[in-house]
Amino acid sequence: MVVGDVTTGTEVLVIGAGPGGYVAAIRAAQEGLDTTLVEKDAYGGACLNRGCIPSKALITGSGLAHEAGNAEFMGVHADPAVDMGKMIEWKDGVVDRLTSGVEKLCKANGVNLIEGEASFVDEDTVRVAHGGDGQGSETLSFEHAILATGSRPIQIPGFEFADDHVWSSEEALDADTVPDRLGVVGAGYIGMELATTYAKLGADVTVIEMLNDVLGSYEDDVKRIVRKRAEELGVEFHFGEGASEWTEAPDGGYLLHTETEGGEESSYGVDRILVAVGRQPVTDGLDLENPGIETDDRGFVETDDRTRTAVEGIHAVGDVAGDPMLAHAASDEGIVAAEVIAGESAALDRQAVPAAVFTDPEIGTVGMTEAEAEEAGFDPVVGEMPFNASGRAMTTGHTEGFARIVADDETGFVLGGQIIGPEASELIAEVALAVEMGATLEDVAATVHTHPTLAEAVMEAAENARGQAIHTLNR
Amino acid sequence: MTVKEFKLPDVGEGVAEGELVSWLVAPGDRVEEDQPVAEVETDKALVEVPSSYDGVVEELFADEGQMVPVGDVIISFRVDEDGDGGGGTTTTDEASDADPGDASPQPTPSDDSASESDADRADAEPDTPSGRTFAPPSARRLARELGVDVAAVDGSGPDGRVSEADVRAHADRSGRAGDATAATNADDAGDGPAPRPTLTDAGSDGRKSAVSKREAGGAAVSSGTAADGPEPAGRETTLVTPATRKVARDRGVDLDDVPTDEVRDGEAFVTAGGVRAYADALEAAVESDSAEPARVDSEPVEPEPTDDMADPASAGDATKATTASGDETVPYRGVRRTIGKQMERSKFTAPHVTHHDTAEVDSLVDAREDLKPTAEADGVKLTYMPFVMKAIVAGLKRHPYLNSELREDDEEIVLKNDYNLGIAVATDAGLMVPVVENVDEKGVFELAEAVNDLAARARERKPWGWVPSRSAPSSGTARSSPRRRSRCRYRSTTGSSTARSRPSSPTPS
Repeated sequence: MVVGDVTTGTEVLVIGAGPGGYVAAIRAAQEGLDTTLVEKDAYGGACLNRGCIPSKALITGSGLAHEAGNAEFMGVHADPAVDMGKMIEWKDGVVDRLTSGVEKLCKANGVNLIEGEASFVDEDTVRVAHGGDGQGSETLSFEHAILATGSRPIQIPGFEFADDHVWSSEEALDADTVPDRLGVVGAGYIGMELATTYAKLGADVTVIEMLNDVLGSYEDDVKRIVRKRAEELGVEFHFGEGASEWTEAPDGGYLLHTETEGGEESSYGVDRILVAVGRQPVTDGLDLENPGIETDDRGFVETDDRTRTAVEGIHAVGDVAGDPMLAHAASDEGIVAAEVIAGESAALDRQAVPAAVFTDPEIGTVGMTEAEAEEAGFDPVVGEMPFNASGRAMTTGHTEGFARIVADDETGFVLGGQIIGPEASELIAEVALAVEMGATLEDVAATVHTHPTLAEAVMEAAENARGQAIHTLNR
Repeated sequence: MTVKEFKLPDVGEGVAEGELVSWLVAPGDRVEEDQPVAEVETDKALVEVPSSYDGVVEELFADEGQMVPVGDVIISFRVDEDGDGGGGTTTTDEASDADPGDASPQPTPSDDSASESDADRADAEPDTPSGRTFAPPSARRLARELGVDVAAVDGSGPDGRVSEADVRAHADRSGRAGDATAATNADDAGDGPAPRPTLTDAGSDGRKSAVSKREAGGAAVSSGTAADGPEPAGRETTLVTPATRKVARDRGVDLDDVPTDEVRDGEAFVTAGGVRAYADALEAAVESDSAEPARVDSEPVEPEPTDDMADPASAGDATKATTASGDETVPYRGVRRTIGKQMERSKFTAPHVTHHDTAEVDSLVDAREDLKPTAEADGVKLTYMPFVMKAIVAGLKRHPYLNSELREDDEEIVLKNDYNLGIAVATDAGLMVPVVENVDEKGVFELAEAVNDLAARARERKPWGWVPSRSAPSSGTARSSPRRRSRCRYRSTTGSSTARSRPSSPTPS
């Protein structure tokens, strides 16, 4: 043992203070367990500091500017100017308020907070190296550990995030100026959210995607609406191309070189390159081999429906434990982990995890699509309500998209929903509740919805599936 | 969709009825062919009755703890039939058919798990259902807490949606199903699924099942604990005339409990009138108790204050009850009754002789001491029993008429070539006599092992194999060997056929 290395013990050790870890720590403390939370960087994790929250702040800011400047049809004439530095400052204020809130919540619940980087010594001990030189380290023994180290953006060969002009989503959310030309590598949800944001902020955005469309596995009619809208905003798409390298251009910018599978090369002039090709689990530096935790071929820690890893006493939650890699799923898993450790009969038995994409328009999905329901052996019935038939949607000026609900034809049980359109991220919550509760189409249809609201579209979709819609033609 | 009725099969030789100890399924459960649906105690073994159909349980026609005659309908199934598509209207219950959760492999109670589930259930960690479950999170959490597989719960909500109450009801049912011996627990038997079919119901739809015939006799006398019943006097002794004693017997009244002011020769004296008045008061109290559930269901049941018309609901409580005097009455069924009948038959059909002899067995003691280490090395506990068995075989060989069967009808005596010995084993359920076959061909260690094994099986009330009863020496005690029938399955850790999987001559390994 090194001098200054103090061994202390804790019942529950949580590594990582993101939405999985801090929720787990707070619940564990609420369960009366002596809980220690180790964070190497910032409370709140990627979600609060570098992901969900900052991106939503910028999406709102850029959206507001864009709306204001494009509302002549309702008689509003404006030419908004965006002070990017100020917008980032405002965003940082929001982030600070939230992260300090997390810290306060942890303390108020009796969670011991340790700043530093944890690595496993064996299956019941970690060493925590405190940040900075000469800060020393401490050894912590634990009865249970919850691994919640999250994920980080994937870097691709030839594009080092260390270079100033190569951005990960993290830098894209912290830029104090808007680049004139932004190259985006990857048209997944992160790439699309940021491409839309920067297009609205005035950048010329070029999106490179190896696949043939945006948004990977989403349904075609959903993808089409998002792509079309992005194109309207001036985003240029190049599908079937992979980013190969960048070079400096004579104009002071850069050339983003791409290659198709067939070897055709292209290059696009850009000022910044955002690489958004996915996220990978953070397990380096943890010395997972010491307790004997194994990872799968993608680097994720495998867990069971009680969030347990193969090593007794060690759980893993959130992105590090693999799909769906969503903050709210991580929090759910964190609660399950804490309760399982406390001896409660918790389990990951959720029926569906809703997901939202904050593109323009937004996407909200939960549960099964029609095709997935068929695959699962249901005889699905589908109902839709297009927002162009919604009074409230018309009054917002946004009528793209639809609300769709998928149910089992025989029983009427709601199996899932896909909503694309204004406030889809909010609207999907109702469908999620229906799916989780085992509600039927009739239950949704017979629930009185406020008029005039966008939420009426969910009710109408349910009616439509029953062949009883009032405001749309029943199919 | 068609509904198939399933009758209690002939589960053992000469068995006319069996006690339905527990249901392993509940209405709405999907069952596969050969999946055990009920446990029936017929003879010496608990027998699992398997389903003959793939389908969904529609209705159960017998209560747990009830005696069911062979051939009576005990359960009905809704069975999928291809090509019958346009036929039936869709009932709400059929929701579960379409639920892919049902299509996914369901935990089918195997023989083993059925017997172990009760012990493990509290600690068991139910798997998270992989398929879609139409139950709210609160109900799913409750299911986990109660160790219930939520996919197996029969939901009462629209199209089978499972509520918390459904989960609790399922847990109650399976809790009792798992606890096979709970039949002796009055509380358990009482708060199960309400025995809905009243006398009227059972009669009206023609399903004259055992529901209406269930042992009602025990109820009236037995539920003497009713709060507002008459106070038993509880004397040590009571003087009565023989006629009064008969009245008391007929009415099931303990004479020492009958209140009286009369005294003769310094002892309390009870008249026949006093006994009748006390019995009436007792029964009135019972009636008010047993009428209670009927009123809740607002069923027009009028329990007669006679023994044989007691409401099934109260009879269900009567598996074990306390009389006014504090005595317990226990139904005379199953093993206990089999033993009694066999004893009785034996008394009538065989001459009973007791013969005592004294033998010097010093050499035997020495021999056993010598062999013990060898036996222990083989993992065999060597008692004197195998030696005695060997001695008996030697005796039988010298006196073949002792190992014979009298066939009166054929006017012949069959001198047996086999030497199969019944070994009496005291068990909690009574004296069992498993049979060790071919004792003459087995070595001492083999016999020791066979005896230990059979004794353990008898104590656990598992079948120990069966031998044609005629090939065994027919002396008097209760020996009745369960026979395998095509449609019944014996619970056994070694598989469905004990006979096949357990060689009758186990060799020490």
